[in-house]
Amino acid sequence: MTTDTHALTTEHSPVAGLAHDARGGISNPVLGMILFITSEVMFFAGLFAAYFNVRANAPHWPPTEPAELAEHFNLHAEPWFAAALTVILVISSFTCQFAIWAIRKDNRTGFVRNIAITVILGVVFLIGQLYDYSTIGFGLGDGVFGTTFYTLTGFHGAHVFGGVIMLSVVLYRAMAGQFSARHHDAVEATSLYWHFVDVVWIALFSTLYIL
Amino acid sequence: MHPLRHPKYAIAVGLLFVLVGLVYWLVPEIGHWHVDYAGVTMLATLGIAMALMAYVLIAGSPNE
Repeated sequence: MTTDTHALTTEHSPVAGLAHDARGGISNPVLGMILFITSEVMFFAGLFAAYFNVRANAPHWPPTEPAELAEHFNLHAEPWFAAALTVILVISSFTCQFAIWAIRKDNRTGFVRNIAITVILGVVFLIGQLYDYSTIGFGLGDGVFGTTFYTLTGFHGAHVFGGVIMLSVVLYRAMAGQFSARHHDAVEATSLYWHFVDVVWIALFSTLYIL
Repeated sequence: MHPLRHPKYAIAVGLLFVLVGLVYWLVPEIGHWHVDYAGVTMLATLGIAMALMAYVLIAGSPNE
């Protein structure tokens, strides 16, 4: 009976591929993460709403005042470094998913390797963002543009930092052999969070540097 | 599996909110009134949040 139910869950359920309990449905860690991500969607929605409201009501965008900072505010002129950071984060999402696929097949070597690469890429992204902050030419207090830019990217960076910590815990536990094809709910939950952080950055990059 | 339990219906729920957001943007845009971009953004992203919630309801239901 249990085996039949499990087979139904893994082969025909809408959550096929995600961790879930034997009766069908979603496991508690994954459910908790989805609910958390939902609240985070609305958190970033508020930040994006503030940005678009400010942008729509500004006479010029990017702002031309103060004149000495206008050149720095024009992020569209040099999006390449941020684009490189975007590529790093997108690749990290792929490696994270490769890790998930590996542990689902009980391939622990591939799992540990891909999680380690994901952690490294996350750290590289954070270092890159700090470097970007140090060279961007304006600060948090430099008008509404500076405030919205640092609030949006800063909160995202904090989320990446949180994700790196989660991935590091997963890596530590993976190296201790605590995950298997049947028991890896924490990995699935962390992976969902990492993909979410990646999607938010793509939205941020598109909004701040391209649109 | 009941047909309504397919994940595509979660997306449909999200799209409903996006549609409301679209109307909220389009009406003042056509009427040349002030567009509330903050509200449009919130409604559009609420669509994502509601799709996730609908997915939880669909996927979280036990099979038996």
